[in-house]
Amino acid sequence: MSYNTKELIKNAYRITSQRGFTALRIRVPGGHLEASYLGLIQDIARRYGNGTVHLTTRQGFEIPGIPLDKVPEVNRLLAPLLEKEAALGVPIENFQAGYPAAGTRNVTACIGSRVCPFANFDTIALAQKIESLIYPNHYHVKIAITGCPNDCIKAHLQDIGIIGQVEPEYDPGRCIACQACVKNCRQFIVGALEMDNYQVQRDGKRCLGCGECILQCPMAAWTRGPRYYRIVALGRTGKKSPRLAATFLEWIDEKAVLQVIANLYRYIDRHIDRSLPKEHVGYIVDRTGYQVFKEELLEGVDLGPKGRVARELPFYGYSYDRNLYMEG
Amino acid sequence: MGYKLTPAGFGALLDELATNYQIFGPVRYAGKGRLAGTDLTTYGPVRSVSDLVWDARTTFAPKEVFFPVKESLLYFSGQEITEPSLEMKETLVFLRACDLNAVSRLDKIFLANGPEPDSYYARRRQHIHFVLMECQEGFPGCFCVSMGTNMATGHQAALRLENDHYLLQALAEPWIALGERYGQPARVEPVWVEKNPLTVRVPERVDIALFQHELWREYACRCIACGRCTLSCPTCSCFSVQDVIYRDNPERGERRRVWASCQIDGFTDMAGGHQVRADRGDRIRFKVLHKIYDFRRRFGINMCVGCGRCEEVCPEYISFARCVNTLNQLMEVQGRDA
Amino acid sequence: MPNPYLPVPAKILAIQPQTPVDYTFKLATDIEPAWGQFVEISLPGYGEAPISISDAGAGYIELTIRRVGQVTTALHRLNPGDTVYLRGPYGTGFPLAEFAGHQLVIAAGGTGVAPVKGLINYYANHPGELEGLHLLLGFKTPADILFRADIERWQTIFPTILTVDQGPGGWPGRVGLVTEFVREIPLKPHARIIVVGPPLMIEFTVAEFIKHQVNPEQIWVSLERRMHCGLGKCGHCKINDFYVCLEGPVFNYSQARNLVD
Repeated sequence: MSYNTKELIKNAYRITSQRGFTALRIRVPGGHLEASYLGLIQDIARRYGNGTVHLTTRQGFEIPGIPLDKVPEVNRLLAPLLEKEAALGVPIENFQAGYPAAGTRNVTACIGSRVCPFANFDTIALAQKIESLIYPNHYHVKIAITGCPNDCIKAHLQDIGIIGQVEPEYDPGRCIACQACVKNCRQFIVGALEMDNYQVQRDGKRCLGCGECILQCPMAAWTRGPRYYRIVALGRTGKKSPRLAATFLEWIDEKAVLQVIANLYRYIDRHIDRSLPKEHVGYIVDRTGYQVFKEELLEGVDLGPKGRVARELPFYGYSYDRNLYMEG
Repeated sequence: MGYKLTPAGFGALLDELATNYQIFGPVRYAGKGRLAGTDLTTYGPVRSVSDLVWDARTTFAPKEVFFPVKESLLYFSGQEITEPSLEMKETLVFLRACDLNAVSRLDKIFLANGPEPDSYYARRRQHIHFVLMECQEGFPGCFCVSMGTNMATGHQAALRLENDHYLLQALAEPWIALGERYGQPARVEPVWVEKNPLTVRVPERVDIALFQHELWREYACRCIACGRCTLSCPTCSCFSVQDVIYRDNPERGERRRVWASCQIDGFTDMAGGHQVRADRGDRIRFKVLHKIYDFRRRFGINMCVGCGRCEEVCPEYISFARCVNTLNQLMEVQGRDA
Repeated sequence: MPNPYLPVPAKILAIQPQTPVDYTFKLATDIEPAWGQFVEISLPGYGEAPISISDAGAGYIELTIRRVGQVTTALHRLNPGDTVYLRGPYGTGFPLAEFAGHQLVIAAGGTGVAPVKGLINYYANHPGELEGLHLLLGFKTPADILFRADIERWQTIFPTILTVDQGPGGWPGRVGLVTEFVREIPLKPHARIIVVGPPLMIEFTVAEFIKHQVNPEQIWVSLERRMHCGLGKCGHCKINDFYVCLEGPVFNYSQARNLVD
């Protein structure tokens, strides 16, 4: 058997534990797909795979058990999925050749405002827009989008996590001082609201922009102001040094988000260690330092009047030095 | 007198009205809904014909135009107390038949209940004039026909949106003159909703024994006491009184009233903390019986006008209509058993 | 149109502490209340509170106010000569015509004595209006006893039972709940009964009288609710189809027993 594993991997096929067989990963930007595509996935799994489908942690489908010699045939069947990618604006040169890259992972998203009342925006739509900006690309980057700080998509474990924010607008003339917002914020969120003189005072620096005060308010005294985004950066799992992402930017608009992501690829391109088979962006930042990362990611970015940037990224948390705290 | 108006004609009519009146009606505020990507339809200033929303029920009722959410009752400065003056432009309110009927309920409480009229309500109310927006059919959850509030009186004019034009029934000036100026004479008979998909049967009498019924216990678990049902209700009139000291001058401040809700914690709290109606099921019973029984015992008409807002705004899917129908069934069963 | 929400200033003539937390304020005013009515007293910036009138005379009323909330705490800081603000009187008081010519029993517990103090003093000055007045007054402990001077005077005029729930050593008087002493009152068939006090005290005391063959129609109670306006508008004191601030706070028990919050 002779196969170029590097080429296979770039084509979204995996080298699996079963010799001679591969597994195909199907991208589903934003984790949302017309049900009509399921027939195609079922067909590939039954005809070429072992009849099963795995739901990946990145919201795609993985079809295992495909014989390596069937890859060209399977690739031809993927045309409708690639056409869908093209419809999002992804440049696809050859619709018969399968996925053009796999390094940049599927952009994941929580279900967003199409379904979830807590979501501050349509996460799926933004995921699809970002897909068109960054794919195809061989750099190993993980991006996830979530509608509110509940972070159901686990944006804090990504290189770039995008969290929807809304600036709540308060009309004191409609507030009946029922305290629903104040109590909720104090008990479940960050306690950014206080009742003073029968009027709510909001600490804008403390506020997460989660929008729950708007959801709680029975009087529409709180309403939705402009939408913003918070970016948490450089979270990761893994064997070396897992960590939760920290807030890199907040209260920035969509245009700024897209520019920052574009800049991220330029930063990687400048600093990646090409002597390694691949280098994950988090480890590049470990080498260049945060200040270079920050400077280069903000090139040409208009943070707007409310935008805030982290002076440094305070990573807390996880340690593999188990001898410090394990018994025995 | 009846008139047919083009949108442009009606627009010109509104422009002329705006010189002497402030005009309120159902208006859509884009992106201001509770949930992301939704709009808020509620009462607000009407600046042009296209502002008027015909295809949705407003989240809040027109009452806030003349029963403000907050109203200063008096100002104090040291020992001196002064009454706020009111200079109010004549005000037109575009509203549906149910909401117009609701005004008579508010009038009962503020003008007829107790030894004297509420002067703050009365002085605003005299500047308010109504224009009926005719309903061709109700919205989901409406039950005006059951409540007898599908028809209304007390408006200066009635307006109907029909295809690409407006039909105006002018019942008083300035509408007759305006109709003459901006429209074509036409035969306009009032149209009322004759039937709602939802029927609510109000029990004639509610036995006090039903106060302990398990029906209310279910609501005790379901209701979150947010108060939306009452705050969106066109007939709810409860308020609390607050004293506020101005932060920039502690010698000065005001006493004001602000809408209150029997569903929200604190409504029955007495100084010292005792609550007489702590249970949420009891609060729902209190509200429902006020709307369909207690008010009628006092004033001869039901308070509820069947607008359907309380059900639409309830995040917990509690249906007032279903509750009333259940009560009615329980009373019928009791009547048969007796 | 008159503005019923505008309070009028009233000078504090005297402050008489009854207990560490209950003060009686004598206020200069020409309000002429019926016994059992209440006023809204306020201090600008602190708010209004409904307080029953504990006594009245030419040119003054008395309010006995317990320090329990924001307004009452602020009131307790005042001194004679200071000004407070009043609206009222509000509500329906005791139906004196219903009592005339009959035996009257007044059972009052704790701060519930305040709304009947003026009435008792009235009958002390007009004893001929009744066929006897019996008093049954209960307090938590001897330290909680209000209106000591009045009670001492009443004891010389009317058959009076004064009891405390818990009596420390050295308390010479009676110990026990008001309910336990109902049976000591020689009730006449058409006796009129007033019961005022905390909700549980009212419930059990009324039950005791009914056990002694008193009809609900012969009993009146005074209810306490959080009135914000006193005018039948704000809705806070509504129970069933009644407004405590209008039809109450005094209700005949045949009515009150059907009032469910």
